[in-house]
Amino acid sequence: MTGLDGLPLVTLVTFLPALGALVVAFMPTSRPNLARSVALGFALAAWVVSLVMLAGFDAGGAAFQFTEAVPWITAFGIAYAVGVDGLAMVLVVLTTTLTWISILASFGPITHRVKEYMVSFLILEVGMIGVFIARDLFLFYIFWELVLVPMYLIIGIWGGKNRIYATIKFVLYTLVGSLLMLVAILATAFTYQASTGSWDGAFAVAKLTAAGATSLFGGTFGFLAFGAFFLAFAIKVPMFPFHTWLPDAHVEAPTAGSVILAGVLLKLGGYGFIRFALPLFPEAAHTWAPLIIVLSLIGIIYGAIVALVQPDLKKLVAYSSVSHMGFVTLGIFVFQEQGMQGAILQMVNHGLITGALFLLVGVIYERTHDRTIAKMGGLAGLTPVYAAVFGFFVLASAGLPGLSGFVGEFLALLGTFAVNPWAAGIAALVMILGAAYLLWMFQRIFFGEPSAFLLGLRSHLSDMTPTEILTLAPLAALVVVFGLFPGILLDLIRGSVTSALAAVAAGSAITVEPLIPAVGLGIVVAAVIVQLANVVLGGGGAGEEQPGEAAPEGAS
Amino acid sequence: MNDLVTIAPFGLAVLLALVVLAVDLAWPGRRGPVLVTTLVGLAVVAAVTVAVGASGERVTAFGGSYVVDPLTTFLDLLFITIVAFTIVFAPDYLEPRGLPLGEFAVVLLFAMTGAMLISASADLLVLFIALELMVLPGYMLAGYHKTDGYSTEGAIKYFLLGSFSSAIFLFGLAFVWGMLGTTRIEDVRDALAGGAPLSAGLVMGLAFLTTGVAFKIAAVPFHYWTPDAYQGSPTPVTGYLSVGPKGGAFALILRLFAEALGPLSADWVQVVIVLAVLTMTLGNLVALTQTNVKRMLAYSSIAHTGYMLVGLAAFAVGRMEGLEGLLYYGAAYSVMNLGAFAVVAAIQRRAGVTSGLATFAGLVRREPWLAALMTLFLLSLTGIPPTAGFFAKYYVILAAVQASQDGHAALGVLAVLVVLNAAAAAFYYLRVVVYMFMREPDAEQPALAHGRLLWGGLAAASVLTVLLGILPGPLLDVVGQAARAIGI
Repeated sequence: MTGLDGLPLVTLVTFLPALGALVVAFMPTSRPNLARSVALGFALAAWVVSLVMLAGFDAGGAAFQFTEAVPWITAFGIAYAVGVDGLAMVLVVLTTTLTWISILASFGPITHRVKEYMVSFLILEVGMIGVFIARDLFLFYIFWELVLVPMYLIIGIWGGKNRIYATIKFVLYTLVGSLLMLVAILATAFTYQASTGSWDGAFAVAKLTAAGATSLFGGTFGFLAFGAFFLAFAIKVPMFPFHTWLPDAHVEAPTAGSVILAGVLLKLGGYGFIRFALPLFPEAAHTWAPLIIVLSLIGIIYGAIVALVQPDLKKLVAYSSVSHMGFVTLGIFVFQEQGMQGAILQMVNHGLITGALFLLVGVIYERTHDRTIAKMGGLAGLTPVYAAVFGFFVLASAGLPGLSGFVGEFLALLGTFAVNPWAAGIAALVMILGAAYLLWMFQRIFFGEPSAFLLGLRSHLSDMTPTEILTLAPLAALVVVFGLFPGILLDLIRGSVTSALAAVAAGSAITVEPLIPAVGLGIVVAAVIVQLANVVLGGGGAGEEQPGEAAPEGAS
Repeated sequence: MNDLVTIAPFGLAVLLALVVLAVDLAWPGRRGPVLVTTLVGLAVVAAVTVAVGASGERVTAFGGSYVVDPLTTFLDLLFITIVAFTIVFAPDYLEPRGLPLGEFAVVLLFAMTGAMLISASADLLVLFIALELMVLPGYMLAGYHKTDGYSTEGAIKYFLLGSFSSAIFLFGLAFVWGMLGTTRIEDVRDALAGGAPLSAGLVMGLAFLTTGVAFKIAAVPFHYWTPDAYQGSPTPVTGYLSVGPKGGAFALILRLFAEALGPLSADWVQVVIVLAVLTMTLGNLVALTQTNVKRMLAYSSIAHTGYMLVGLAAFAVGRMEGLEGLLYYGAAYSVMNLGAFAVVAAIQRRAGVTSGLATFAGLVRREPWLAALMTLFLLSLTGIPPTAGFFAKYYVILAAVQASQDGHAALGVLAVLVVLNAAAAAFYYLRVVVYMFMREPDAEQPALAHGRLLWGGLAAASVLTVLLGILPGPLLDVVGQAARAIGI
């Protein structure tokens, strides 16, 4: 089955942006507006195709739909095999939606090398969609790495002051994880080949998943291979303590780059856990789960506390990502239905809400060329529309019931509670902390008397433009819809959740010793003290703003 | 007569070198006739090579000292490709510096005949003569820019250490001959096949041979000549040196170690593993600190040698995929590295432009296409899919992983080291991209006019770099056949 009217819809949605990139690449440099509109056109086309797929997707039907398979490297049984289940479908639509919004949001801010920027963005979209649709491990890895290059360029060329340091850090972190995953992928495929005697299907996700259910990849091998997958995905999510590339990348990336980074790239890690790490290595997943749960809890707390003390608005949102994404890994690794549902919902909602917050940060940065919270104040009186929209997304991010941010975290907590009340209790407390840093930030920026800094910029301080409202309106609508009717999403992902849980034999008890979170808390407290000391001593932020001699350009 | 047919590719290559020499004498200083003769001649040699090797059978000539099998054919075609690319890329660099193209082509062709003879050697003495035939023109090429102090210095270093290592190698051959009483590769193999404990003489021979070969492929710690020789040589020569003689030396390893000394693989694989670890790690670490792109590529070439040695190690413990991976890597590396050097050479078209990183600052502004192509080659060298470099690394790692699951744990460690090294290498390859795309140039320079020949060559190299990455099938068949010629 390939889709409506026999069209290969999955291939279409994946490679339309590639075609777009090709077209834009051959456009004259002297006409940036043409490049902008053509890129937007292709992104919108991909979006429409993904919506057509969504409309044709049968939530009660086969697990994987719109499947296509063409042999590719026959010597190793590698195939171009693609298809989507509910989870992939949702994430593909999230990707296509955020991509056109990001491209539209780049019209104003990106003024130099527009053509190259649009090409990078469209190729980025190919890689992101490809990761979600790949049904072949080799193909998956190719798309996974493909994401790296355009993001590297986007941060490195169109980023802020320390962009080169940030982009190299981003690439090196991601590359270390993903290359070890490559070794694990090959070892897995070869184990399969050795057991069946043929390369046929050795990279096919469906066959490997079935083999994983028979504990073919168990024992020490499974433990190590899961470790390699874990590293790759944990860096991408990012989980504490692999998160340090994220604040740098976010702060230096252009607005649209941050949107995609938070909105889609971080989801690749969560998706990888659900799609590959759990079904292939169920045994190892159970072994690793306690550690991952503890790290998630630490991430949730650590991200929130560090966000609390950030003087930079964008960095605050970046650290809040670390905290919010902790709920994703927490929800996945409690192996409970609600937990898994919560994790997936959190992935989607974090994409929408944090994406929107980064867009909003971009709005103020465009006008003031500054993001220091302390310099702001009283903005509500100057730009009322902006304040209202910002307030809306801050509440959504803080998890106000009725908006979508609440549902994912709530479900993840529910699942966690069933397994370990301690862990759920700790995570729930942090939701209060989340409200604290978000509302405090909001208050400092928007309430009170307008600051001298803002008054000095008065003439530039226009309220939101129609384009900016257009980029945020769909996100706001989705936040409300998913907040009130999470059932829409839950229906779509039901099959994926069930099969993921069946793969790891849901229900087996996990004991997280109460002591472990305590130890984790100790580590966090120590880390926070260090961070605070940094701020007090004038080190600036999280102490990661000074690249120092290690910066790549230092070698010149 | 049959013997003459069998050696036809080699004979024609020698003839071609002589014809080009005559052409250069007839029209001194003209590039057109030389280029046309060389490229057409290479095409003919390639066609004949394919025709002679088409049967896929193992054919010997001259009393069994010369052999044509699929491995010979594959390597010959690789050498021909390397030389063709080098010739195509050379004029843009040589002409502004007043260096003649004619002699360059002739010397290069003679080097190619040496490499072709190595791949066809079935006798240790022929192997040694072939090795010398390949490296002697290399010394001349390294010193080709004779008014340039660095070029001369590099050539002298290359020559002294090269001769020294040849002598060590020859000494090792003498031991093998003395202990076994034969220099025929097949007979050596049979004599060793018994599995008897090694005699002291053979151990000595093995040690000398390994050392000599390690010099030739620039494996750490026998690599000291490489950076100076590479940096000092004219850029097109550096490109050639980094793939041509290296490919030849690997051909020698295959003929000598994999084939003749195959029964001793359990003994020499230990050394190969240690060499692989040292070579890829040190090559990469030193490359990290380089600020000259040519020198960086020289050290990275050492690292790539290390990756290829991993394939050899996997083969030595019984995995055909190791040998296939090694051959695939050789082909992929040749194409992408020649491409990268061609871009460096093109940027240096104006005499006096150095290959320092600063030269690359803001390149995308004045030469967007060169910057884009360089990025492609560098990504491929890093091993990012979907490029040739990625699939080559994939293959080598796969072989190592398989070997480790056969019970050779050391190979598993090698696989992990390969990927960690690849990640480290990303740093210095991408630094060039950073300079090209994310830095402003120190001073505005006009774009240079590049010949159509260069663009054609670059187009071919980039197409191959992408094709070998996304459609590896055809080449996989070829390397599979070539690898089976040696067998386990």
